[in-house]
Amino acid sequence: MKTPEQTALAQHLLRCPICGHLCKLLNRRHARLCPLCGEPLHVRRPHSLQQTWALLLSSYVLYIPANIFPIMTVTQLGMTERHTIIGGIIALVEKDMAPIAVLVFIASIVVPLLKLIGLSLLLLNVQLRWQARPHLWMRIYRLIVFVGRWSMLDIFMISILVAVVDLSGGVSQVIAGSAATAFAAVVVLTMLAAKSFDPRLIWDKQHKL
Amino acid sequence: MSKPLDVCPECDLVLKPVQSAIGTKVDCPRCGYLLHRPRPQSIERVLALSVAGLILVLPANLLPLIGIRFMGNSNESTLWAGTVGLFAEGLWLVALLVFLASIFVPLLNITLAFLVSLHLYLKRPHPHLAHWLRWWQHLEEWAMLEVYMLGIIVACVKLSDTADVQFGFGLYAFIALLLVNVMLATSLDSYLFWQSIADLDKKTHENP
Repeated sequence: MKTPEQTALAQHLLRCPICGHLCKLLNRRHARLCPLCGEPLHVRRPHSLQQTWALLLSSYVLYIPANIFPIMTVTQLGMTERHTIIGGIIALVEKDMAPIAVLVFIASIVVPLLKLIGLSLLLLNVQLRWQARPHLWMRIYRLIVFVGRWSMLDIFMISILVAVVDLSGGVSQVIAGSAATAFAAVVVLTMLAAKSFDPRLIWDKQHKL
Repeated sequence: MSKPLDVCPECDLVLKPVQSAIGTKVDCPRCGYLLHRPRPQSIERVLALSVAGLILVLPANLLPLIGIRFMGNSNESTLWAGTVGLFAEGLWLVALLVFLASIFVPLLNITLAFLVSLHLYLKRPHPHLAHWLRWWQHLEEWAMLEVYMLGIIVACVKLSDTADVQFGFGLYAFIALLLVNVMLATSLDSYLFWQSIADLDKKTHENP
């Protein structure tokens, strides 16, 4: 394990997260802008844990309506069907479209849950200073950042269906449901939560043991 | 402009900067973060790709992506219609998000890439150069064309069950735009871009 002196914090250095410009740290509390690109510079993101928790808890709350309310209503030849997220996936399985069902299941169920649980564990790990395995936590953090945007799949699919399935005379129509707003909010809030988490905190605790 | 030290942005480790050649990459020895991967002809490629992207934006947005035929009725839909449809149904927050992720941010990113690479290619300084590149890097993850493409595929499979699905010319333009966007992200050598901007900055300060 590296000694604490090798971190930028210990050597009073500050690196711009955007352009990589390196400058001397003058005052820990005083926020300053990067001289090259104008990005606000911080030794660690201010209130990173609080911000991430706040966004994460909001996502947990919104995750409930996102799953129990219908995400879209399909009208076909006078018949009206309401689909929740799970219901849409089950309908795909019943129509023998298993590969697509798996894809939607991963994007709409697995990825949001992975983000919610993964970020919670990541935060607990930093706050409770669980010992060791920073490499594992770093891998989890990067996975969460990487998969974040793919849950938008369902939202985009609905926007396409809404636009294209609009046949005159009530022959066929798709209407987006209230769960769409909640689900879209979960996706955006968890993406913002992942962004507000400072990965350097994973490594900081290593020195305090 | 050789910096004496470098710092890993994800684990805060102080490093000795390594000069890497094109085709190789430098990882952080502690956390494995990809520090630098030099790209060949980065400025020229970004310029060329962003011009191609700006040309493709119009057909990808205005021409129909897919159409359906069902019991004698038919309908076509463009990229823009997806946003309008959601807005008309009262889900304006979702409509706004779809608009930003599928139309506005990709267009903004390509425009910013064009402005930055054009100025660097002509070696012409501009007071907003650093801001443009900074915003491009901030906005990169909010352009979700590849996710949208997957949405189109899933929607087509769902529709093929009941209706005839036809692909419009807009879809081909959209796929090309998506490829341009992905290639833009992989062609950007941010080390080189930032160093070029810093050099241009210095030159203007020396002889104003």
